[in-house]
Amino acid sequence: MSSSSFLYTRRRITNLVALSLSMVATLIGLIFLAWILWETLRQGIGALNLNLFTKITAYGEEGGLLNAMVGSLIIDFIGIAVATPIGVMAGTWLAEYANRTSLGQSIRFLNDILLSAPSIVLGLFVYTIVVLPTTTLTSGNTTFSGLAGGIALALIALPVIVRTTDEMLRLVPSTLREAALSLGIPQWKLTLQILVRAARSGIITGVLLALARISGETAPLLFTAFGNNYMTFNPMDKMSSLPQVIYQYANDPGEAMHAIAWAGAFVVTMFVLLLSLASRLVLSRNKVSHD
Amino acid sequence: MQANVGVAASTMAQEARAHRDARHDRLFSWLLKGCALLVLACLLGAAGATLWGGRHAFSTFGWHFLVSDAWDPSTDTYGALVPVYGTIATSLIALLIAVPVSFGIALYLSEVAPPWLRTPVASAIELLAGIPSIIYGMWGLFIFAPFFADHIKPWLTNYLGGKPDDGKLSWVAQHVPFVGKLFGSDYPFGASVLTAGIVLAVMIIPFISSVMREVFQTVPSRLKESAYALGSSTWEVSWDIVLPYTRSAVIGGIFLGLGRALGETMAVTFVLGNAMQLSPSLLDPGASIASTIANQFSEAAGLQKSTLMALAFLLFVVTFIVLLIARLMLRQLAHKEGR
Amino acid sequence: MTEPAAAGIHPQSSAASAPLAPTKLQVRDLHFYYNGFHALKGINMDIPEKKVTAIIGPSGCGKSTLLRIFNRIYAIYPKLEAKGEIILDGENILDSSYSMNRLRSKVGMVFQKPVPFPMTIFENVAYGIRHHEKLSRADLDIRVEQALRSAALWDEVKDKLKQSALGLSGGQQQRLCIARGIALKPEVLLLDEPTSALDPIATGRIEQLVEELKNEYTIVIVTHNMQQAARCSDLTAFMYLGELIEFDRTEQIFTKPTKKQTEDYITGRFG
Repeated sequence: MSSSSFLYTRRRITNLVALSLSMVATLIGLIFLAWILWETLRQGIGALNLNLFTKITAYGEEGGLLNAMVGSLIIDFIGIAVATPIGVMAGTWLAEYANRTSLGQSIRFLNDILLSAPSIVLGLFVYTIVVLPTTTLTSGNTTFSGLAGGIALALIALPVIVRTTDEMLRLVPSTLREAALSLGIPQWKLTLQILVRAARSGIITGVLLALARISGETAPLLFTAFGNNYMTFNPMDKMSSLPQVIYQYANDPGEAMHAIAWAGAFVVTMFVLLLSLASRLVLSRNKVSHD
Repeated sequence: MQANVGVAASTMAQEARAHRDARHDRLFSWLLKGCALLVLACLLGAAGATLWGGRHAFSTFGWHFLVSDAWDPSTDTYGALVPVYGTIATSLIALLIAVPVSFGIALYLSEVAPPWLRTPVASAIELLAGIPSIIYGMWGLFIFAPFFADHIKPWLTNYLGGKPDDGKLSWVAQHVPFVGKLFGSDYPFGASVLTAGIVLAVMIIPFISSVMREVFQTVPSRLKESAYALGSSTWEVSWDIVLPYTRSAVIGGIFLGLGRALGETMAVTFVLGNAMQLSPSLLDPGASIASTIANQFSEAAGLQKSTLMALAFLLFVVTFIVLLIARLMLRQLAHKEGR
Repeated sequence: MTEPAAAGIHPQSSAASAPLAPTKLQVRDLHFYYNGFHALKGINMDIPEKKVTAIIGPSGCGKSTLLRIFNRIYAIYPKLEAKGEIILDGENILDSSYSMNRLRSKVGMVFQKPVPFPMTIFENVAYGIRHHEKLSRADLDIRVEQALRSAALWDEVKDKLKQSALGLSGGQQQRLCIARGIALKPEVLLLDEPTSALDPIATGRIEQLVEELKNEYTIVIVTHNMQQAARCSDLTAFMYLGELIEFDRTEQIFTKPTKKQTEDYITGRFG
């Protein structure tokens, strides 16, 4: 009698302790989130000024981030522009042509691995296949370029887009395929004009997520786009980007440089968070309504 | 009537269209397949390019490369031990912290929290995964490392380790083996293996916890209900029913986090201190493969560049294997669900 | 093994007792295998022209499978195999030389759930036409209007042709799918439980439509609703476990079935 009530009490206490700890764990996660966001906001907003958006990095402490922002936009654009068509087509192949084949399943599997592969290695890969050959062509002048940076980011965006396209197309009911095929529509038309359109909002979400992912990427840009101190719109030229300048300035001893780095960090964070918010909105507003 | 002629003509037109459609369909599927094969090419290319780039280092140092802690650009001798140790140590610390915390979060969100709280908290935790790693790096460098140096490190050195160079050792360091070595440091700054491990832990918590939460939700409710019906507590159901049922996927989630931690560059580079030295202490600065590449590649040439490529190859192979295991483990659950 | 047995045990009454009209579709000893499972076992039936033929039977009896062979839509999935003959206007459509394009412009199909394409109402109907014929804009407009009128949808949508088809009600969507099918001017129209996802009022409209369409098309409708079969078909086929048990005039099937299984099913003793 007393031993069983002792056991009961002990079990109740164990339960209580474990559940409290789970709450503590959640609080820890939330505290770190709040801490990081709070510091980025506080330090970032404190360092915001007009110079950031009007001056280039050449002026150092007195300067801004204009060329880095422009560079980021160009490099990100190249990344998305390269990755989107390839990714959508690859994802379409996985979902529509190779869903059950072993090659299709292996590629889907490997794509998931590429999704979390170290970005710095992908950067070195692009360095080897883009920067090195062009360097040889220009007789030894190292040809870092915005284009190389964009290609490196494309490799990071690619698996994100492949995966969302694949998943979204597989959600499209097969009756839609049957309906189109029973009208005699060929497969390629069905795919491009009906299925991709039916999965459009999901695919856009994937592209936005990929953009969010690459716009904060730093490591692969260090030896592809490299960085510069002047304004350029030429993708064949060395190019600065926000993350790369943040990295450079944060490692600088000067306090004023740190402030600019924080301002850059704030801009990047806001951009990324807005993108992920936008992607959620796109998905929830345009639910594919074929139940 | 010319009905017959009309029918024949329309049949011929139909045949021609059928041929054209078939040809377009074939071309289209080849195009798509080519794009899908690019995914494969990326992985093979990344492995091939780094192996090719690192061939000089591998042929110069041989197997000794893996166990040598040398890193001396003036004599052009390099070994992989320091960055490999740093990579593994930071990732293991990250797992040690992130796994229990993630389990707690997943448990709270799937079993404990009131339903109205689950979605907002889960989205908030997932927000952590969206923050770019450079932001973690900034926060780690300017906020967390100083905080660590002021508040956590003194406590650790006072009670667990000591300052070996000053000859000051804590009671624990004098009486318990290893612990003193792990937590002893004379280095006054916040950048260290432990700091990097903690920042990495924060980074991978959202990945691991979201996988765990997802797989916990796949446990059939009849299984849980029958355990509750026997009088089990929430904790007992989670530990005895939910966890064993989802074990392989949970391990998969952990490996996924490990894969992320191994390859993470920016967050680590900022807070690891980038010292090419092998120290037993977790409170001393170190270097990881990714941070070494990020720091040195632009200025490196010759054998040093090749060494960095060789390191990248090692990193790629190891993360590939870890992620492979992760995906295989996760797939088992997907199969179970499918049945 | 089973083939001769199946044919022997169930000599089909066929359309012999239904000399209503010339035969449009002739099914000859049709077998169907699904992943090795013998789903249809030697079906023989003659489907008359410009009549409504209903196929009924308990779920899993193979009635939808049979319908899906008539336009070879099953062929988009791997590991499915049909053996036997289906003669449409003297040619075997199961023959691999029979062009898919031709078959599908001759045989239209409407599915259980309405599946409008993610386009405007107009485009939904025009899409298929454009693929098969080069028409001027004016001719295309006329064809779309005709199709929508025949599907009894024109009055409801004529002012919103440019709006998305996804905004229509379920019943309207299903009539749009019928319009899309008949816009290609097929000869045979296959309806696979076309009202199972609709409310009674929408169902009534579709049934009325079927009644009107049979003047121009040979219609084969699969339904699990016996009243529906009784109401709107001229002939009824009863299938059970992959076999055609009885095929006769609807009146005959519902009043004096010759087979015990048919009677059991019709009187609700199983299924």
